[in-house]
Amino acid sequence: MSTILQIKNITKRYGGLTAVNDVSFDVNKGEILSVIGPNGAGKSTLFKLISSFVPATSGEVLFNGERISSLAPHKVARMGVVRTFQETTIFRSMTVRENIIVSHHLRSKASLFGFFLGTKQAKEDEAAFAASADDIVDFLGLQAIRNELASNLPQGHLRALGMAIGLATDPKVILLDEPFAGMNHDETMKMVGLVRRLRDERGVTVLLVEHDMPAVMKISDRIVCINFGQKLAEGTPQEIRENEKVIEAYLGSEDAAIGM
Amino acid sequence: MNTKKLLGFAVFLLAVFVLVPLFIGATGRVDFFYTLTSVALLSVGAAGVWLTFYIGRINIGQGAYALVGGYVSAILVTQAGVPFWLTLPLAGLFCAAISVVIGLPILRLRGVYFAMVTLVLTEVARLSALALPVTNGAKGITSIPLPGELSLFGLTIIPAFGSLSNPRIGFYMMAVVLMVVTYLVLWRIVNSRLGHLCRSLQQNEELSASIGVNTAYLRVLAYAISSFFGGIAGAMFASIAQSIYPSSFVVADSVNFMLYCFLGGLGYVFGPMLGTLLLYFGWDLLSIAKQYQLLIYSGVMILLMLVLPNGVLSLLDKKEGRA
Amino acid sequence: MEQIIANGLYLGAQYALIALGLTLIFSLMNVLNFAHGQMYVFGGFVTYTVVVQLGLPFIVGLFASAVVLAVMGAAIEKFLFAPVVRRSKRDESTMLLAAGVAFFLDAVILLFFGEKQRGVPKIVNGVFNWDMRIIMPYDRILIGVLAILLIVVFIAFMNYSKTGRAMRALAQDKMAAQLMGVNVARYSMIGFALGAMLAGLVGGLLVTITGVNLGMGGPTSIKAFLMIMIGGAGVISGAIAGGFILGMMESVGLTVLSAYGDITYLVIFASLMVFLAVRPQGLMGKPWG
Repeated sequence: MSTILQIKNITKRYGGLTAVNDVSFDVNKGEILSVIGPNGAGKSTLFKLISSFVPATSGEVLFNGERISSLAPHKVARMGVVRTFQETTIFRSMTVRENIIVSHHLRSKASLFGFFLGTKQAKEDEAAFAASADDIVDFLGLQAIRNELASNLPQGHLRALGMAIGLATDPKVILLDEPFAGMNHDETMKMVGLVRRLRDERGVTVLLVEHDMPAVMKISDRIVCINFGQKLAEGTPQEIRENEKVIEAYLGSEDAAIGM
Repeated sequence: MNTKKLLGFAVFLLAVFVLVPLFIGATGRVDFFYTLTSVALLSVGAAGVWLTFYIGRINIGQGAYALVGGYVSAILVTQAGVPFWLTLPLAGLFCAAISVVIGLPILRLRGVYFAMVTLVLTEVARLSALALPVTNGAKGITSIPLPGELSLFGLTIIPAFGSLSNPRIGFYMMAVVLMVVTYLVLWRIVNSRLGHLCRSLQQNEELSASIGVNTAYLRVLAYAISSFFGGIAGAMFASIAQSIYPSSFVVADSVNFMLYCFLGGLGYVFGPMLGTLLLYFGWDLLSIAKQYQLLIYSGVMILLMLVLPNGVLSLLDKKEGRA
Repeated sequence: MEQIIANGLYLGAQYALIALGLTLIFSLMNVLNFAHGQMYVFGGFVTYTVVVQLGLPFIVGLFASAVVLAVMGAAIEKFLFAPVVRRSKRDESTMLLAAGVAFFLDAVILLFFGEKQRGVPKIVNGVFNWDMRIIMPYDRILIGVLAILLIVVFIAFMNYSKTGRAMRALAQDKMAAQLMGVNVARYSMIGFALGAMLAGLVGGLLVTITGVNLGMGGPTSIKAFLMIMIGGAGVISGAIAGGFILGMMESVGLTVLSAYGDITYLVIFASLMVFLAVRPQGLMGKPWG
């Protein structure tokens, strides 16, 4: 197994507050790795740091050995590290299919001017995007709502759409921000299956942030646990489950019981 | 383009190039030529404003670019002897270039903040025109010669305006051609990937960046195109009026550009054209009300906002059941 | 040097008052009041009418300006902005309505008061002269002091009165204020009236010195926008800071840059652009208002 993403001593301070403190871990190619931690532990900040949506105070993130921290977010996406959003961040007044098609931007071979002129390459690109979008719609089981306006979708579908948007960019690594939040057991299990297929069928490395413990335990190859901005432990679900520090952190907080 | 759209386009061309001149010829209201020329040119500027609306920015600075475009053309024609037809694209490009410099910092602002800065921009353009030596201060630049002949390989495409028996029709035709080309370009932008990306920007800039769109570049690009339109509209105006003053385009004009877009509808490519026609023609027709012109005009505007707070074309939305 | 500072303070006090009204309206309703400059001009004309045409004392004129503009502001809020804010989907709608109101007020001013520049005779005569270092007519000093006094009263009102506190709560968090039982509709109206009243008061003050005319509305609004961009929109301290900073810059610019012609505002705008590139939310504003 080779390392695809390296997080090295990354730190983020806001004024006097340290949100993420000297966190390091590696993500292997083709694995599903979850970052867990009680509320306010710095998970979301860590996420934004990896996708370069906020600049790190110190430390760096390497993708295939290349430094991606401090790059503009769209450049990080261009290299193949793509994030989805926690909230229902979608293009509201486009249909599901339009959302997915527009998100194929990174795959375009024609230039913007080429698209304007409608060159042969541009037409080929658009046809390829449409075909790929339909493919993604099928993959995620969104056939019934493909022409629905995104603003009319219920929450469960929005989450899937967010993932579809991420998939459309053809990512090497996808960062999922709390994919199970607010879902009931059935929905969560469905989503777990989906994330697995993402990795198995599309070969995407998955890094996710989540605090739904049972789901994380079920889905992850490895888990990184952080608390108060610092890495507490790293290991397989089994190892994490038995880790004293992790148990302490969770018992010490009001957060949900660790899924044992 | 499908046949229905092509047909609609053909009817539109027939109307503006044949029916309108015929109608004016029949009624003898030659002054309408001037009004409609203004409508055509203003709608070119409004097209630019509409494009900035399309990336989610409220642009109240188009008057600045129209003024700059007018001056660039006027200065090149009067002082460097450059043919007008060459100054037209040059004016546009000059405006696009300065809009890149200005846009880089200010396009990071959103909402009301961006709107305020652009509004101030118009005032700055006026003050610059007053202060710079090359613009000749408050006296402006006058007696700009009419556009000369445009020929390609010895073939006359546009005759010299001075030689025309009725330059008004000439200006009208020229302005309408400019308008048609502008809106074709705009239509093509909106319906190509470029427009889709602009829409993605309008709806969610963060998500747009996360799918790999260079949002900063796209914003500046759209703003530059917008300013290009403003510049050529201004250049054409200066040439028709044969003069340009610091007060040729002021804050009220910038506000009006925005109003045209809004009234016509922000979701429709041809909205700004319709908006310009309605508002400008309406204003012109109201001149019979003499001193009550502004009162009635603004009163109607306020009433419209009260009845249709989401714009006139929101009526269409309801019919189509769109959100 | 002292002269520049004195001029800057005098200008800054007027500007801060204008910016305060604008920022108050903005913070309460998220409305950018394009008509603010017109309200200022209107206030000036009311004072002019009362003092010159009716021959009443200046203080009565000032009072009349305040009352007329407060009533006007309340009416504009209640019958125009409130319904549009309630029903519109986008920010632009209120901006357009504000533009419409600005045009409308221009039309009303034109009909009622005409196009001519109007002024009120000096209210006090004489010139203050401190060793040729500061030379300033007494009426300017009086107006400047009055303006500063009004700012102090305004701040005290916002901090210590029940109405002021309710408005501040509303500006900070509409939802929370509503839950706490603040009557949003009522205080939006009061806020708008107060903002308009401030504009009218400045108009009434300045009509004694510079006079007013129809064309002043638009440029005044633009200056007010500049001020709240400098200080940060929707923040009271920001409006005051922005007002005084602009006043100072103008005062310095007019003295230092006068050799190069009328380029003060070009320089101010260029520096504002650089400033906003570094700090888009202004000196004291919250990011994205």
